[in-house]
Amino acid sequence: MVQGTEAIFLGALRAGGNFFAGYPISPSTEILVLAAEHASRNPDFKFIQSEDELAAGNAIIGASLAGAKSFTATSGPGFTLMQEAIGYGHEVEVPTVLVNMQRVGPATGMPTMPAQQDVLQTHYGTSGDYYPLVFCPNSVAECYRYAVITFNAAEESLSPAILLSDGFVGHLNEVVDLDAIEVEVVARSRPPLGTGTRFFTGLAHDEKGNPRTADAVIYKQWLSMVKARHEKVAARYRHFECQGNDSSDTLLISYGIVSRVIAPLAGQFAMFRPIRIFPMLGDELREYAQEYERVVVVEANDGQYASLVEREVKRDVVRVPLLGGRINLELARKGLSENLGKEVS
Amino acid sequence: MFKDLLKMELFPTSWCPGCGIGQVMIQLATVMDEMGLGHTNSTIISGVGCTGRMAGYFNVDGVYTLHGRALPVAEAAKLVNPDLKVIVVSGDGDLTSIGGNHLLHAARRNPDLTVLCNSNQVYGLTGGQAGPTTPRDTRTVSTPGGAPYDPVNLQNLMKAGGRYFYARTTVFHQVHFRNCIKEAIAWPGFAFVDIMCHCIENNGRRLGFKSAYEMLQHFRQTYKRATDGAETLEPFEIGIVRKG
Ligand SMILES: Cc1ncc(C[n+]2csc(CCOP(=O)(O)OP(=O)(O)O)c2C)c(N)n1
Ligand code: SF4
Repeated sequence: MVQGTEAIFLGALRAGGNFFAGYPISPSTEILVLAAEHASRNPDFKFIQSEDELAAGNAIIGASLAGAKSFTATSGPGFTLMQEAIGYGHEVEVPTVLVNMQRVGPATGMPTMPAQQDVLQTHYGTSGDYYPLVFCPNSVAECYRYAVITFNAAEESLSPAILLSDGFVGHLNEVVDLDAIEVEVVARSRPPLGTGTRFFTGLAHDEKGNPRTADAVIYKQWLSMVKARHEKVAARYRHFECQGNDSSDTLLISYGIVSRVIAPLAGQFAMFRPIRIFPMLGDELREYAQEYERVVVVEANDGQYASLVEREVKRDVVRVPLLGGRINLELARKGLSENLGKEVS
Repeated sequence: MFKDLLKMELFPTSWCPGCGIGQVMIQLATVMDEMGLGHTNSTIISGVGCTGRMAGYFNVDGVYTLHGRALPVAEAAKLVNPDLKVIVVSGDGDLTSIGGNHLLHAARRNPDLTVLCNSNQVYGLTGGQAGPTTPRDTRTVSTPGGAPYDPVNLQNLMKAGGRYFYARTTVFHQVHFRNCIKEAIAWPGFAFVDIMCHCIENNGRRLGFKSAYEMLQHFRQTYKRATDGAETLEPFEIGIVRKG
């Protein structure tokens, strides 16, 4: 039996993760404790229990620049404090990994009931335009596999990549042979600090790193270069699951833990599950949505992903929110029945 | 030559003419040159502000972090690569205000970092607002009636832990200044150099100084060397206090 959080940590090790900084917050603390224990036995693995999440978010960037494959784990309020470091990582093009085990918010909210309420924060939480790569696992095996893939995507995109999970998935115990999971590992490409005369700056800059803070042409060139790189990496990870259903006129979209909970409804509906939740799987969503009269998103927030799906498929999407940390099939059935005007059993 | 350590092609710098930060840069480059530090064995990490821009003028890998975050970045870099000399250069606002929590805890954890703090007593870059190091009663744009609080006592803050290195110096006392940098770099722990420096444009003129030169003369007249072996630096004394 392996637990979700443990699988995430072991996946990070498999990916070559060798630096962790974090600040305790449920339901992500298990990962911090695993990192501390691992560091105490393996001097090559470095660990800092930071004074706060501002420090942790910035420490993983410093560690990455110095050559480590770095990561942190946090939950909603801590993730909010890390937003500045996420923005910095995108401007400076630093590969690093953030694991967010979501809980009910805003603010301290309902510690530590599970939720999916950081979906929009994950994509739009920091200033400026940026193109985060985000993965959303729904099982212990996927926690492991997507921990590795998130590290790979970070390396390939040279940016902070995010594993977006929640306390429910994190606390799942499942029988799985992690060693049997085949997944490649992408190596570090950038030479570490202490080998050149580069300037890594959060200011807009030219390709040498020299600040160019008033040159719109250089800025736009830089942004489109970064955007193109992210699109290329995203194309490598077009990960989703889909199950059509000829006898249904409705497509149910869900991700993470909710997709596990509502899996028994597959007989009655077509199902779509994004795993690479960002960038949006626009083409895939349009392709599958066009087969169905109605598109419904069931999620543990008040319609965050639904609003983005609506933008992609360009029509109204039915929202079925599962709020307050209660994520179960009964509530999903009830919400669907109310919204679809027919009994869902 | 210290010039080899600087990206001369980027000169003139972004600093106002007469700003003391140029002096800090030249003294640091001189000491690094003397100590054999360069791009294969050192990095300069800064926060945001006028002072922070210095990291971009050195011929070593430099990092201009976010405002206040130089220490978390530097501490992590040092942990990952213990052979690297990690030198932090930043403003007093950056290090003590927005980065104050990190300063408190980095000093407590005592990693092997050298921190050069440009104490110009205001937020230079944003126009000379008061910060934690602004002396009481000083008029700034954000304290038109005079700063209402006593400034933070950085010496006491650094001495809060069992092991510490705190140096106070000025940009006028160049030999002393270089010596402080050298000792700080050689110190095997968290070494904090509090550099009295002038911001002529956004502080000095408002205080009545006509030129950067007048401000330097003010440092010359006001600051005196502490007696050798002093355990505490009195106000307006320059020197080093340390405990290993
Ligand atoms: C999060 C954040 N808040 C505010 C600012 C604006 N800002 C830039 S530099 C600075 C203060 C700089 O003062 P100091 O650290 O003393 O450095 P100096 O410019 O005097 O060298 C401020 C408030 C910022 N860049 N980021
Ligand atoms: S504003 Fe002050 S600190 Fe900044 S460059 Fe000008 S003189 Fe120097």
